[in-house]
Amino acid sequence: MKLSRREMLLAAASTVSAASMGLARPALAQTDPIKIGWLAALTGPSSAPAVGFNRGVVFAAEAINAAGGIKGRKIEIITRDTQGDPTKAVNATQEMISQLKVQAVWGPTNSGESLAVTPILARAKMPNLHPCVVDTLIDPVKFPTSYRIAPSNTQWDDAVRNYTLKILKAKKVAVLGDTTGYGVSAANASAAAIKKDGAEVVYLANIDATQPDMNPDMLRAKNAGAEAIVCWSVSTGMLARLFNTRAAMGWDVPFIGHPSMSSGEIGSLIEKPANWEKVYAVGYKSCSYDAAGKLPAHSQELVDRLKGKVDLKDTLLWWVAAGYDAINLFAKAIETSGSTESAAITGYLNSLKKFPGYFGTYTYSETEHNGYQTEEVVMSAASSARDGAFTLAPGYL
Amino acid sequence: MLATIIASGLATGAVYALVGITYNTMYATSRVMSFTAGQVGMLGGVLGSLYMIVWGLPLLLALPLVLASCALIGVITEYVAVRPVLKSLEQHLYVLSTLALSLMFQQVTAIEWGTEPRPFPKLFGLGTGISDEKFWIPVIACILTIIGLEYLYRYTLLGRAFVAVAEDNYAAQALGLPERNLRIASYALAGAIGGLAGFSGGELMLAFFANGAVLNFYGFVPVALGGLGNNKGAVIGGLALGLFQQAANFMVGGIFASVAVFALFIIVLLFVPQGFFGSATARRV
Repeated sequence: MKLSRREMLLAAASTVSAASMGLARPALAQTDPIKIGWLAALTGPSSAPAVGFNRGVVFAAEAINAAGGIKGRKIEIITRDTQGDPTKAVNATQEMISQLKVQAVWGPTNSGESLAVTPILARAKMPNLHPCVVDTLIDPVKFPTSYRIAPSNTQWDDAVRNYTLKILKAKKVAVLGDTTGYGVSAANASAAAIKKDGAEVVYLANIDATQPDMNPDMLRAKNAGAEAIVCWSVSTGMLARLFNTRAAMGWDVPFIGHPSMSSGEIGSLIEKPANWEKVYAVGYKSCSYDAAGKLPAHSQELVDRLKGKVDLKDTLLWWVAAGYDAINLFAKAIETSGSTESAAITGYLNSLKKFPGYFGTYTYSETEHNGYQTEEVVMSAASSARDGAFTLAPGYL
Repeated sequence: MLATIIASGLATGAVYALVGITYNTMYATSRVMSFTAGQVGMLGGVLGSLYMIVWGLPLLLALPLVLASCALIGVITEYVAVRPVLKSLEQHLYVLSTLALSLMFQQVTAIEWGTEPRPFPKLFGLGTGISDEKFWIPVIACILTIIGLEYLYRYTLLGRAFVAVAEDNYAAQALGLPERNLRIASYALAGAIGGLAGFSGGELMLAFFANGAVLNFYGFVPVALGGLGNNKGAVIGGLALGLFQQAANFMVGGIFASVAVFALFIIVLLFVPQGFFGSATARRV
């Protein structure tokens, strides 16, 4: 029989399609590692958190693997350095989904990257945990596979406002933000919530972070009768200038606000250590020392486990603890559900009630993917850093 | 309150004025507005912090080193961004070449020095409150610079040669003045003045890579207000800008202060386009 070229091509094409459709794909061998993607901004200007998270991630994976893995399967962490750049984060995500075929993704660790990546993860139905604070990143309808492991910005704001109004009992509050998109929206939201709770916002301003002199805004706040200043900025230079100006004015008004107020860089920018007193930054109950200088027992257990293996001196305990919890949550999801399928992992997370992690106690449901409990967000004394943890602000003790 | 506005207004104004003089000194011999002026100011602060805090050098050694380093940056600007453009291309393209070099200085600083502000040392440790040294060091630096430049331009041969080139480039060349070398020297001088701006304002502005863009903008305003090439105008314009900015910061606060500054800037230029102290030049048609 003589075959024409067209018949030959048709035959070849039908053979290939029959093979691809008719034959079942071989199931993953049960000894293959479980791949977890880790979108980490390990270098670049905003790398400090990811470096800390990474220590927890590596420690968790090693601990799980040393104990025999998950039903005999090792965990493999596949890390991609996004450098804090949303474009690189998107590329790394695509690679993880289509080429590396990971089972779940942890990260990215800053909101700018997450805003770019979350819709892609949702389209691929990829289970995702992240610690980013922007509220809109969590939406169980639009992004049904993404879960937050840390507080949202609203939860931070709630903690700051509760401390300012209920513990410090301030009735007149000044709210300051920087002129970035984050600073403006956070300050406006904060002021609105303070007013709703019945206190008076006597001064609301956005300050250019490069403004060399903070006297004008501080004088306006003082003249308006502010009893506390709520501050939303990640600019350590601006924050240090505010603290120095307060001291030069001889004013002892407390500052309450963004975790950046406790950043180590501020220590080198303030004129004297006393300028950093009465500054209370967002912190976490699990990573705070009590009056006796002790961590909660569960957190101390982690610190003891980390001793000699993970350095906490140049990072924050909550970053390490959250990194550990993220990997541990995925491991528990796969172990309990007995599957690495997306639906199994998200199904487990949706049924989670008060899961005792080291960083927090997580509760998720079909309709609530913010798992961190607001009551676990507390204020810390900003200048009290010791081994990555802070002392609780006065009033909790 | 008034004292605070005046103290900080004069201090920031003096820094702006010095950057304005940097623009003018570069402009005088090349007719080029170089946007590296603000970046040299930023580098004055960053290098001051590097030499004194990181390397531990004393003030007497660190200051000349900062001025020399910034003078070198000025010379690099002349070689890389000004000379090739003047030589072979349409003159206004210097806007692009100096802006590109300016961004390169900023990004290299961000990569090598970091994107967070770092401390600048207390130079003498004098004064508190509104008499703090951070408020009067820039003012003194500005006064000394003006006196020094007046002496240079009026009483030294080199200074007179600068003035001659600035006055009429071709006539100066015809008289045998080394125009190219004088231009390099003026860029070195401008770099040193810019460095002094950043160094003297370091305690106020910290060692921060983003200061470059701020100084570029706010250093340009006094030049335009005072009249291009007029140092007296730049100083008065700079101090007025500093005071107005601080007053606006206090009166309207934050973002609106910048709006107020630039609104005033535009209004002034609408009515006095050559600046308050610039002379309108007649153009032959």
